[in-house]
Amino acid sequence: MMSLATPHSEDQQAGKDTLPPRADCVADAAGGLTFDVTGIPEDGTHELLLRSRDEDTDVRLPLTPAGGGRLRAALPGSVELPEGRWDVYAHTAGAEPRRLQPGLNDLRALVDRDPGPGAERIAVRIPYVTKHNNLTVRSWLRAPHAEAGELHIGEGELTVRGRVHGTPLTPSAHAELRGRDGAETVVEAEVTVEDGEFTLTVVYGTLTADVWDLWLCPAGGSGPAVRVARLLDDIADKKPIFAYPRIRTERADGALTVQAYYTADNDLSVTVANAS
Amino acid sequence: MHISFLLHNGYGIGGTIRTTYNLASTLAEQHDVEVVSVFRHREEPVFAPSSKVRLRHLVDIRQNTPGYEGDDPDYRRPAKSFPSSEGRYQQYSALTDRRIAEHLATVEADVVVGTRPGLNVQLARQTRRGPVRVGQEHLTLDSHSAQLRQELRGAYPRLDALTTTTEADARAYRAKMRLPGVHVQAVANSVPAPALAPADGSAKWVVAAGRLAPVKRYDLLIKAFDRVRAERPDWRLRIYGGGKQKDKLRTLIDQLGLYNHVYLMGPANPIEPEWAKGSIGAVTSSLESFGMTIVEAMRCGLPVVSTNCPHGPGEIIDDGVDGRLVKVGSVPSIASGLLELINNDDLRQRMAGAALKDAERFDPARIAERYETLFSDLTARGGGTTTGRMWGTLHRTRGALLGSAYAVRDAGRSVLRKGHTA
Repeated sequence: MMSLATPHSEDQQAGKDTLPPRADCVADAAGGLTFDVTGIPEDGTHELLLRSRDEDTDVRLPLTPAGGGRLRAALPGSVELPEGRWDVYAHTAGAEPRRLQPGLNDLRALVDRDPGPGAERIAVRIPYVTKHNNLTVRSWLRAPHAEAGELHIGEGELTVRGRVHGTPLTPSAHAELRGRDGAETVVEAEVTVEDGEFTLTVVYGTLTADVWDLWLCPAGGSGPAVRVARLLDDIADKKPIFAYPRIRTERADGALTVQAYYTADNDLSVTVANAS
Repeated sequence: MHISFLLHNGYGIGGTIRTTYNLASTLAEQHDVEVVSVFRHREEPVFAPSSKVRLRHLVDIRQNTPGYEGDDPDYRRPAKSFPSSEGRYQQYSALTDRRIAEHLATVEADVVVGTRPGLNVQLARQTRRGPVRVGQEHLTLDSHSAQLRQELRGAYPRLDALTTTTEADARAYRAKMRLPGVHVQAVANSVPAPALAPADGSAKWVVAAGRLAPVKRYDLLIKAFDRVRAERPDWRLRIYGGGKQKDKLRTLIDQLGLYNHVYLMGPANPIEPEWAKGSIGAVTSSLESFGMTIVEAMRCGLPVVSTNCPHGPGEIIDDGVDGRLVKVGSVPSIASGLLELINNDDLRQRMAGAALKDAERFDPARIAERYETLFSDLTARGGGTTTGRMWGTLHRTRGALLGSAYAVRDAGRSVLRKGHTA
């Protein structure tokens, strides 16, 4: 094979041990990931090490030769990976773990993921590249889960359409907007159900200046409350990409601006602020 | 053959660097190849050529290293040999002039290849007698200022060959510059086969990728997608890339209420996995000097709907076979091109297959073969035989005379024009 000036040049992968090892990731639609690691010698015992940033937890997966100088590790969707950020290392027995650099991330199976209405638990793992060009996996594990789809930003209200996984969506469903200002204010919002999808309506007039988190109660008051989030695609950080217009709304006590956004955890919230 | 490339900065990031390394690496399978980088500002190159390619530099500007030459007084003096009308002039100096001249006066090669206009000028004038002199144009003649074109008229007749990335630009050089005896040939940029499976054509996504710059006309693409949404709300658009137009495009998306359908994805590198998530590529530029993204998308199995702008798209896309060419600047035309492929799954799949097959001609091995043939023909003409050598010398003498005659005539013209307007 010819050597080309790409990050995947064989010359870069073989021989020169000054270059850090790297991993190509392939995602499957069930939430599983396969890591193909190059740049470490095939002999010896190797593990793929996922190290949690949030707590003192490691997940270890065996790395086994897959031909062509590659070592492979699999993280099936059925293996539990708690929600959070996981830095990815290659660990050779008797040596320090080495942080892996990103190669090709083939995440096409994650785009427009549909786990189906029967899915009890939603496992999402999205590999991404950090600011320092290292490989990290973002994981979500939710049961039940309320997936946000299209938003419509109107003059006086915004609507969110979506689907529920892991719990039945009933006609008595409603939504809650939970304020973050410490007063534990909860504003109820109307939900309609059609063809297995919910439509949640937030009327701007019901909100005061605060950040409001959206929760869905698919079975009404007696059932579970589920955080509304957007998880079922290939994008690790939704906020800069799923951006929504900021709306100005006039009220008797002054003008407000309202803007829906995804949090650092890809949960859906609404910022309401006094207009300057 | 011994082939020596002269590159602005082989340690940076950019299309010319990548393309040069692809070519050099492929040629190095059969030939002795070096890349000479005028500047070196960092320890390791971002894109590394194959280990068979020798990479060296002429001026070391690695700060805080013992070899740093940025304090050399000549580094502060303006360049005289490197043309002042060249876009990179500010980075060149009396020091680069001297180092490049020394390099070219002693270069041990059968073929020397310049990779940008300013370097081609020095290469044409300062290469020792012997090696074949090849200039590469990675942009287009039309994109250069009148002053630079005049400079090139003076120097390029001394080249043995000039390569452009499109036939259209080769025609422009033949028509607008007098380059007798200079072999002007179009050789496309190369794009390697991606290291992942091609798109399967089932995803309802249109993908575009490029700098968010006015020339890319993403405003037209977004407006066209408003029409697409009206007919096919199940299809969406991703635009990869960063740039100054981002806020404007964001505002346009919000104004049209397209925030559920059009996404500004930010820059992506590598881009291949992102193409593979789509089923149609889109290019709406008013100008593409080559059209690298079209080839990239095709190599990932996407038929591309592109405006038929100068210079590249029409030479890459076989209209109606492996993609669709649409009217430059026309929202309705872009929208109907996209809808044609969106509404006809069979047509789209057929075009995707053709795109994969037709884009193989841009494989680095195939492109390197074309260069190899060009270089061999030129060395046979100008190097080996006595008559060849004679011919080469004669051609260059004539080229030198013609070059100066043209430079004088152009200077005269501009004086006249000035006189006229004054």
